[in-house]
Amino acid sequence: MKFRKADPLMRDLRRVLPSDRVRVAPLERSIMGRDASIFEGGRAGPVCFPISTEEVQGCVDAARRHGRAVVPRGAGTGLAGGAVPLEEPVVVVATKMNRLLSVDAEQRVAWVQPGMINLDLSRALAPFGLHFAPDPSSQQVCSLGGNVGTNAGGPHCLALGVTSAHVLAAEVVLMSGESVVLGDAGGWTPGLDLRGAYVGSEGMLGVTTAIAVRLTRNPPAVETLLLAFDSVDAAAQTVSAVIADGIVPAAIEMMDKNIIWAVENFVGAGFPTDAAAVVIVEVDGLPGGVAAEADRVAELAVERGGSVRRATDDEERALIWKGRKSAFGAIAQIKPNYYLHDTVVPRTRLAEVMNQVYEIVDEHDLQVMNVFHAGDGNLHPLLLYDGREPGIMDRVHAAGSAIIEASLAVGGVLSGEHGIGIEKRDFMPLMFSEADLDAQARLRRAFDPEEMANPGKVLPTGASCADVKALDNIPEGVWG
Amino acid sequence: MTAKKSLGIDTEELASCVSCGLCLPHCPTFRVTGEEWASPRGRISAMRQVQDHGLAVDESFLASMDSCVQCRGCEPACPSGVPFGSMMEATQAELARRRRVDWRQWGFWVLGHRWLLNLLSRSLAVVQRLRLVPSKRLGLPKIPLVQERLRATGNDVWLFTGCVMDAWQRSTHASVKRVVESAGAGVALPGPGAACCGALSLHAGLEDHAHALAARTMKALEGSAPILVDSAGCGAVLKEYGKHMGTPEAVAFSERVMDVHEWLAAQADQLPSVGERRRDVTVAVHDPCHLRHVQRAHQPVADVLSRYATVVTLDDEGLCCGAGGAYAAMQPELAASIRDRKLEAINRSGADIVASANPGCTIHLANAGVVVRHPLEIVDEVIDYDG
Repeated sequence: MKFRKADPLMRDLRRVLPSDRVRVAPLERSIMGRDASIFEGGRAGPVCFPISTEEVQGCVDAARRHGRAVVPRGAGTGLAGGAVPLEEPVVVVATKMNRLLSVDAEQRVAWVQPGMINLDLSRALAPFGLHFAPDPSSQQVCSLGGNVGTNAGGPHCLALGVTSAHVLAAEVVLMSGESVVLGDAGGWTPGLDLRGAYVGSEGMLGVTTAIAVRLTRNPPAVETLLLAFDSVDAAAQTVSAVIADGIVPAAIEMMDKNIIWAVENFVGAGFPTDAAAVVIVEVDGLPGGVAAEADRVAELAVERGGSVRRATDDEERALIWKGRKSAFGAIAQIKPNYYLHDTVVPRTRLAEVMNQVYEIVDEHDLQVMNVFHAGDGNLHPLLLYDGREPGIMDRVHAAGSAIIEASLAVGGVLSGEHGIGIEKRDFMPLMFSEADLDAQARLRRAFDPEEMANPGKVLPTGASCADVKALDNIPEGVWG
Repeated sequence: MTAKKSLGIDTEELASCVSCGLCLPHCPTFRVTGEEWASPRGRISAMRQVQDHGLAVDESFLASMDSCVQCRGCEPACPSGVPFGSMMEATQAELARRRRVDWRQWGFWVLGHRWLLNLLSRSLAVVQRLRLVPSKRLGLPKIPLVQERLRATGNDVWLFTGCVMDAWQRSTHASVKRVVESAGAGVALPGPGAACCGALSLHAGLEDHAHALAARTMKALEGSAPILVDSAGCGAVLKEYGKHMGTPEAVAFSERVMDVHEWLAAQADQLPSVGERRRDVTVAVHDPCHLRHVQRAHQPVADVLSRYATVVTLDDEGLCCGAGGAYAAMQPELAASIRDRKLEAINRSGADIVASANPGCTIHLANAGVVVRHPLEIVDEVIDYDG
């Protein structure tokens, strides 16, 4: 579809935004057709760059008047296709709303705009000795609005909790065009916890325009250990042993043999490329406690045949984390595409499920790498492939389904932190009953009766009793 | 041989981006616009739309490509090692072939002819003094009327002098030459054959012209002595002659090229000490993109400079200043927005002056009122040549 200047939707959008902030060139709409997931073939309608809550209201209003859906977008780093526009919706991009609005260091609260980059916030807070705890691997680029949308996690969410625990309030433009504040920056929410319902709703309830985030004090002492093991089992057992010992490290991350090589090739952090698995453990807190915990973690690793390296300074620590956090991107050194899963399994079943993953991948003649949040059992198997190989996607999806089923079979869940988006939408019935899904759809319609906010995501077709037109029509080719 | 399609980009290179987006914050044009078409990921996506999916080259495609500073800040940020610069150069070359008339080629042709460039520069200097050109608006520095003559002092090392830098900032070469000589080396100077490295032509996609300039430059800088370069943009291209020309001679030539600070850092024990003249100034080191992201050799600047002055680093992870060779003249608005971020970082650093090892950055930053010097000019002022 072409959006000409005379188009009534365009006319209304240009009343709200200057013309250089409503973009309709075919190239730009196709560029905005994807995020960091594997889904290609989405297509944006008009792409809007508002800079204020009022402008967002205006965009939503115009879309509603012309019966067009709205898809909010941040930095486009989502891995589940949550920001992939289906059926040419109005795409509302938050990247120009990227300011830190206020900081109350005493109350440890900051108001931020949704397009602010996660790491930029923590950098801006450094002079106060504070930071924003959720640190997804994409934190140098992902936006806080996107973090709210997916209820993002990150290595350091093991001890401190994921995004929901760090969002006190959100200012949201509902699909009616009304702007509301869910939650309370003071931390006291009367009535139902609508803030809790909103965080992780993947753009289905409205468009975030401001966020009150809880700030965390920088720990006075930090120890980072790099543990190397000859077997994945020993690594997984060590992870369980650390938690069972009563230690709650700030982070426990695991990487298997294949990914260690790719990462080491990029950062040169001295990762042992001959190990079957490495585990990064970070403990923080008061100096005495940190030293004792680090010693104990090292002891538990050595008992299970591991070798231990401790970061001697911040530079070495930063390099280890850089390796961990660039793992996904480093894949292209091996294959041009990857499909990343995000299931969670009980910690005690980690080794078992990982071995199943290796078998599944062998069966489908694919390659896999594992890099994940071992501390909370959040697996991230990456299936590597070259999308140009004929028939490859069928094998990738078949292996993906088998991994999800294996994870659910041991009592796991579909997604740890990336969200459901398009990716796992059709797996939702594996996890939820019809009644569960119906309840979720009804909650969604309480916010957005017409289902115009990010349609086609999260909730599978047929989940609601109503006639849901948007869900049936995912354009061809979206399964890239 | 890899198949080539409509934009002439290597298909393997084009397939190598996984769209993770980790490059976005390291791209100056994404940082100031927040728009995907102005990011490396968006530009690659646009290249794919044209080359793989047959989308027409239209205004929005040209805007996406031409807004790229070609700073290559995305390359070290990319865990997949996507060769963005190479893809952008291929795209620019194809776009240049499609343009019937490209006035830039006349401008770049002048750069290859030292006598003409000097003549025009001197005329410009006169006109500037008569206040007949709006220098500030055009982003021009004050061009000297008279330049000192540089004389060779031996043949241990070559000093590459280049085009605009030699015509407009020859006093910088003089400082660099004195510092290099103080480390005990005799300096050879190339003749007019090495008039221009060809970087600007290459970035504009004028490959043939760039290759002609490269061939002349290689011929003029014969022998096996190291070739020292005091302009980061020139150094980056000279180091990539091997890649661009693909001949064994070009590969061998590129291996001799060093940024002058790399060479000095390796001779640190030969360098004279700081004299009585050391002033109490704090210098912020601005890392030119083509030194930091392309040559990946920015550390020696701070290493050498810190022997003679108090050095602070900027906290913006080497984000581009917006100069980009001819970029500041072609895309003045974006260049100025990008520079504003750099000015904020400079202010935060609390430094008195800024050191820049690239003439383009120096001119661009100086136009915003920043006191900018070449790192070796600062060294030249305080070094104790007798000590």
